[in-house]
Amino acid sequence: MSVWNYVVTAHKPTNVTHSCVGNFTAPHELNLIVAKCSRIEIHLLTPQGLQPMLDVPIYGRIATLELFRPHGETQDLLFIATERYKFCVLQWESEAAEVITRAMGDVSDRIGRPTDNGQIGVIDPDCRLIGLHLYDGLFKVIPFDNKGQLKEAFNIRLEELQVLDIKFLYGCAKPTIVVLYQDNKDARHVKTYEVTLKDKDFVEGPWSQNNLDNGADLLIPVPPPLCGVLIIGEETIVYCSASAFKAVPITPSITRSYGRVDTDGSRYLLGDHNGLLHLLVITHEKEKVTGLKIELLGETSVASSISYLDNAVVFVGSSYGDSQLIKLNLHPDAKGSYVEVLERYVNLGPIVDFCVVDLEGQGQGQVVTCSGAYKDGSLRIVRNGIGINEQASVELQGIKGMWSLRSATDDPFDTFLVVSFISETRILAMNIEDELEETEIEGFYSNTQTLFCHDAIYDQIVQATSISVRLVSSTSRELRHEWFAPAGHSINVATANTTQVLLALGGGHLIYLEIGDGVLTEVKHTQLEYDISCLDINPIGDNPNYSHLAVVGMWTDISVRIFSLPDMNLVTKEPLGGEIIPRSVLLCTFEGMSYLLCALGDGHLLNFVLNTSTGELMDRKKVSLGTQPITLRTFSSKNATHVFAASDRPTVIYSSNKKLLYSNVNLKEVSLMCPFNSAAFADSLAIAKEGELTIGTIDDIQKLHIRSIPLREHARRICHQEQTRTFAICSLKHNQSSAEDFEIHFIRLLDDQTFDFISTYQLDQFECGCSILSCSFSDDSNVYYCIGTAYVMPEENEPSKGRILVFAVEDGKLQLIAEKETKGAVYSLNAFNGKLLAAINQKIQLYKWMLRDDGSRELQSECGHHGHILALYVQTRGDFIVVGDLMKSISLLIYKHEEGAIEERARDYNANWMSAVEILDDEIYLGAENNFNLFTVRKNSEGATDEERGRLEVVGEYHLGEFVNRFRHGSLVMRLPDSDIGQIPTVIFGSVNGVIGVIASLPHDQFVFLEKLQTQLRKVIKGVGGLSHEQWRSFYNEKKTVDSKNFLDGDLIESFLDLGRNRMEEISKAMSIPVEELMKRVEELTRLH
Amino acid sequence: MWKETRDREFGNLRPNSFVNRIATARISSIQLSNYKEIVSSHRGSVDSLQVDLTEGRYLLAGAADATVAVYDVQRATNYEGGGLIAKHKSVFVINKQHENGHKYAVSSAIWYPIDTGLFVTGSYDHHVNVWDTNTTQVVQNFKMPGKVYKIAMSPQARSHMLIATGTEDVQVRLCDIASGAFAHTLSGHRDGVMSLEWSTSSEWVLVTGGCDGAIRFWDIRRAGCFCILDQSHSQLGRRPPLLSRMTTNKKSSLAGQSSNEKVRAPQRKVPNGNALKLYSTGRVSSHVKTSKQRLHPGMLSSHDRATGHYGVVTGIKGTNDGMYLLTAGSDSRLKLWDIESGCNTLVNFETKRLQSTKAIQMAVSHDSALAFIPCMTTVKVFDMWSGQTKGTFRGHYENVNCCWYNAQDHELYTGGNDRQILVWSPSKIISDEMDEWRKGQQTADAVDRDNWSD
Repeated sequence: MSVWNYVVTAHKPTNVTHSCVGNFTAPHELNLIVAKCSRIEIHLLTPQGLQPMLDVPIYGRIATLELFRPHGETQDLLFIATERYKFCVLQWESEAAEVITRAMGDVSDRIGRPTDNGQIGVIDPDCRLIGLHLYDGLFKVIPFDNKGQLKEAFNIRLEELQVLDIKFLYGCAKPTIVVLYQDNKDARHVKTYEVTLKDKDFVEGPWSQNNLDNGADLLIPVPPPLCGVLIIGEETIVYCSASAFKAVPITPSITRSYGRVDTDGSRYLLGDHNGLLHLLVITHEKEKVTGLKIELLGETSVASSISYLDNAVVFVGSSYGDSQLIKLNLHPDAKGSYVEVLERYVNLGPIVDFCVVDLEGQGQGQVVTCSGAYKDGSLRIVRNGIGINEQASVELQGIKGMWSLRSATDDPFDTFLVVSFISETRILAMNIEDELEETEIEGFYSNTQTLFCHDAIYDQIVQATSISVRLVSSTSRELRHEWFAPAGHSINVATANTTQVLLALGGGHLIYLEIGDGVLTEVKHTQLEYDISCLDINPIGDNPNYSHLAVVGMWTDISVRIFSLPDMNLVTKEPLGGEIIPRSVLLCTFEGMSYLLCALGDGHLLNFVLNTSTGELMDRKKVSLGTQPITLRTFSSKNATHVFAASDRPTVIYSSNKKLLYSNVNLKEVSLMCPFNSAAFADSLAIAKEGELTIGTIDDIQKLHIRSIPLREHARRICHQEQTRTFAICSLKHNQSSAEDFEIHFIRLLDDQTFDFISTYQLDQFECGCSILSCSFSDDSNVYYCIGTAYVMPEENEPSKGRILVFAVEDGKLQLIAEKETKGAVYSLNAFNGKLLAAINQKIQLYKWMLRDDGSRELQSECGHHGHILALYVQTRGDFIVVGDLMKSISLLIYKHEEGAIEERARDYNANWMSAVEILDDEIYLGAENNFNLFTVRKNSEGATDEERGRLEVVGEYHLGEFVNRFRHGSLVMRLPDSDIGQIPTVIFGSVNGVIGVIASLPHDQFVFLEKLQTQLRKVIKGVGGLSHEQWRSFYNEKKTVDSKNFLDGDLIESFLDLGRNRMEEISKAMSIPVEELMKRVEELTRLH
Repeated sequence: MWKETRDREFGNLRPNSFVNRIATARISSIQLSNYKEIVSSHRGSVDSLQVDLTEGRYLLAGAADATVAVYDVQRATNYEGGGLIAKHKSVFVINKQHENGHKYAVSSAIWYPIDTGLFVTGSYDHHVNVWDTNTTQVVQNFKMPGKVYKIAMSPQARSHMLIATGTEDVQVRLCDIASGAFAHTLSGHRDGVMSLEWSTSSEWVLVTGGCDGAIRFWDIRRAGCFCILDQSHSQLGRRPPLLSRMTTNKKSSLAGQSSNEKVRAPQRKVPNGNALKLYSTGRVSSHVKTSKQRLHPGMLSSHDRATGHYGVVTGIKGTNDGMYLLTAGSDSRLKLWDIESGCNTLVNFETKRLQSTKAIQMAVSHDSALAFIPCMTTVKVFDMWSGQTKGTFRGHYENVNCCWYNAQDHELYTGGNDRQILVWSPSKIISDEMDEWRKGQQTADAVDRDNWSD
């Protein structure tokens, strides 16, 4: 790997941090706006459900998301503030269907200390001002003028230091805030302040309330006519206003989010830390509040935001599990729940740990993550490509061709599946029991190989064999007409659509037939100079039954030719170059664009944009999909056309933003595919592979395929053991049944195919699993799982005791082989020179695996190294040990064999609080730190002085904007040896927001080129809300802000492909590189993830 | 830390809260370090300590024997006690024998804030020297009219390289490294200036504390001082009292407006005033300001005689959030001032006696919650907002002169008349080796152990 790194997101953030509902896109349209850390999504509420309208990145981590409506506006504006003290006001521009920036600015201050409890942003309900609490002791006010424009901001001093929540009160003559705070004796109170814009100061507010519930954490302002505020505690909920005080006790819980149901503010949904959803009702007589009622509705994911949409439909955004769209029913179901989940939105966050494995042994990595928290904990198997869900399969050897047929032209479903073999043709059909059984079509030749068949008009079927073409009635199944090949010639290749048949005979003869009612008419016969290898007349014009173009792939001169039909005039001849003949051609239309796809015998695919009126071929592109000949076939899924390329690496070709994309299918070699949309297996595909015929449905067409394994407990560490085909995880379960809340920690063994728990080892009371490793030791051929633990005693601040447990998997069970007590928490375990390297509190300790006299094994400490605050993250390579410290960045240690000692070699003297480290190569180490930055350091072994050699030099810096928990070497994509991309080493990371990203080390020249492109793109692509990309990616912590260096933002670079043609040209001009060349190079990069 | 680390990894604890919690926990466990020692190279009292602001690695010390030394606090020179006690010897020492060395006591030694390539020393020999760290040669020399008590450079400064110098003389001089000449002098104090500090929020604002008991704020772009702290002006708590609901409506048009207008007026005149957030510069105290604007620049009235302390202002330290100022006086009092309002916050620090003959160097923790104050032979830790003593560090045998808080490692360094530099650090989780080594030591050295150790 190298210093020049390219960072790209493979899976976008899915952790819903904020959501709000309002009329954003039009006065009468209801929108749900969802913030996922550094992205916002705008959805439109329709009777069919939520319809996505826009999904855009924000150059910042969103701290506040609020909809508001200034006076005189008919629709809402969106206020966003970022954690780096930028804010913007966005407005929907309906013509271009995009957001425009109404206002923006910077609200950072030189004075003040950033708040501990998170930034707060609130908007006065009467739109007089925006209030921000960003620094302790300061309340920032951005006033509106009477035209709804923002004026200059100012600060007001706030007496309260530990502010927990601030909200504006409704129905006040002067803007009034209510502040929930904690005093220095940990008691919680609320206070109100009026903001006087004239004095730029606070005036004593109308009321205050002291000594609330100790867990009070959330304020809900109540709109008119009731006004006042709800204070949500852990044991009580209080309604408070100048004139009333009502309290209701609740079962102890931590309320994390709320959503208002009615505009009059009498009902609220509350979501707690266990995912329970409650309804809070304010009972009132006219405007006088008489009491509070609370009722349990049911269980959802642990909610981080709740947005009531309409008609009892609620969006539940979650940080710890999948977000959900739920419906609140009037009557409870059998389990007493009023909650019905309508839809789930996958959330991988928080990814606490993950491992990269290749379970199928296909050479393609997949990521298994520990996702979610609390009861929503799960494992997620993330892989590139599309999954096939098998529904039925039969063993069938030697399939040569496969087509599905209908029993009548207007039948919506397929009935027959024609399977052709070398010397026979068999017909399968769905019987009444929805089983596939063999049947016959009398009109078919069944004791020869079928070259092609297709439904035809007038309830007919065509079958092409080497000697003839037969027209068969699909209702009576009798032969209606047969056309014979001229004597001495046999048909080699055939294709057809509902009205046309095209045949290629030996010697380059090409014959065109048209299908009538019970008759086949030979319309044209020509002879080409060479033999024909493949044909296609898939209709792509306006008429779905008739094609004006025929495509022919040729032997010998290796070309594709386009002929017009019916007169068979040559329109275009495109030499393909090279020596590999085309094996399959296909005409198809994606998103209104016509393409010609041409697959070669060596697994390459050429695609051209086809001008259907002139037959002209443009934008030739070549990609490598596999190594074997490819067969192309179209199919449709969810009303869109896709192409299936069957080969040793089956691929689905689809289009997004008028751009062809290739997605792997998670199957091994597939020889043939045909869509088979039967009544029993709707939207299915019939797939022939390795002596088997499978019928299955296809997943959503998307790049990453995610499978969820819900655990109902929180998995924290995972590791895979190839030899035993198992995963081991450290997990914990919160026990809520008893009065005392305690945790039980487990080591669990899972089968790597079924993901079932096959063995469990429960840890001691107060003992927690901290690290896990699969390794083997020198002088011992067995593989072991090593687990590091900590005893977290309630009376201790820091664990002073832990264990290292060594397990072997025997008969699918965890067998404890050895255990070793440690003087602290074992934060990390690494296999190191056939020994075990553990990070125990501030110490790095090396253990030998010793054979005792009695034949048992034990861990024996060999040597150690002190000098860390907490050695949290450790990676090793050879004799080198790279340590990520709690707060002292990265240090490099070396193990000296002769002395049997570990010594410090070098250190980065910056004060980075680490969250993950990885070794990129011998010289370069990668770190992620607490302020969402990435950086690389370089070992300076050639330094002239001790001082220079002892210093790890910072060589790369970048603001990722994500909290990274883990790096792992590996890749999500198949590495094809023949592509340049295949040589680029990559590291995968997982973040708290559910981001899976890839860091690729580029060669220097490519980096320089892309850096130039990035600079141009920054000029052309303007950040939403006027936020600057350069600033966003600059390395940022409390001490310094410096421009990013030696890292590139792949997400920005790859967005080049989504630009309009003229903007691409603008960049191409600035770069003085043709657009096609740019596209090619960027497209190549997209194949990294 | 274990629980915090776990909560952080699944997003249950915000990363900045994580840092603050751990830092707070670490500070609260500070004690005389049992694993880190600085081997003092000084033969006189240590009067000034500063760790560089860029890497937090090099401790610069100035002492009364005219020596200046630099210690690497991150990388030990050698280890003792079975490799468990790190010894930090000086990287270099400059003493009287050095060709450019000071002749008398070095009262103040500071790093150039941008990098460690330069450092500056001020001495009782009336000189301020600017040193090249790598060659340990003087690159600039400023001759002062009297003993130099205190020098300071602004860590915020982007557009100037000025060394503010407090001496026996009544004038504060600004030495410009860029030109090698005095930029200008600030006149107002009626006696020497023992303590001074640049504002943490604006690169143009300097605070000085004089032997006349006055604490003056200067905007160096304008003549004269713009604010003098008056100990009789006070507020209870973190901000001036709220306007009460009844009176505001009547009052606001008078008091409120006048103060606002006045506040804003000077800001507009300032070039690039908008770009630089001159929060504390322009907007100091609505109370003081109304009269101040009229008085300026001469400040002839009684207000000019206002004092912050009775006696000499011996120490000044701003809080890191830029909102408050802590001052020490020979009246043995500590005062915490609200910079914006210019009011004494009336926090009652439980001090008994402070050194009165010498400037003291105080320190504030990273979150401004704790103040570390040299109190005779001890260093006291005060809670900033209650004034309560949170701890007393006893280790020096004679008076403590200076302390420096290293926010990066949560360590405190103190220097005293006993010529020692002591390290106070968060207690390490004692590992087994340490215990074993200790045991071994005790038995082996039981005979020749003295009773002096901490």
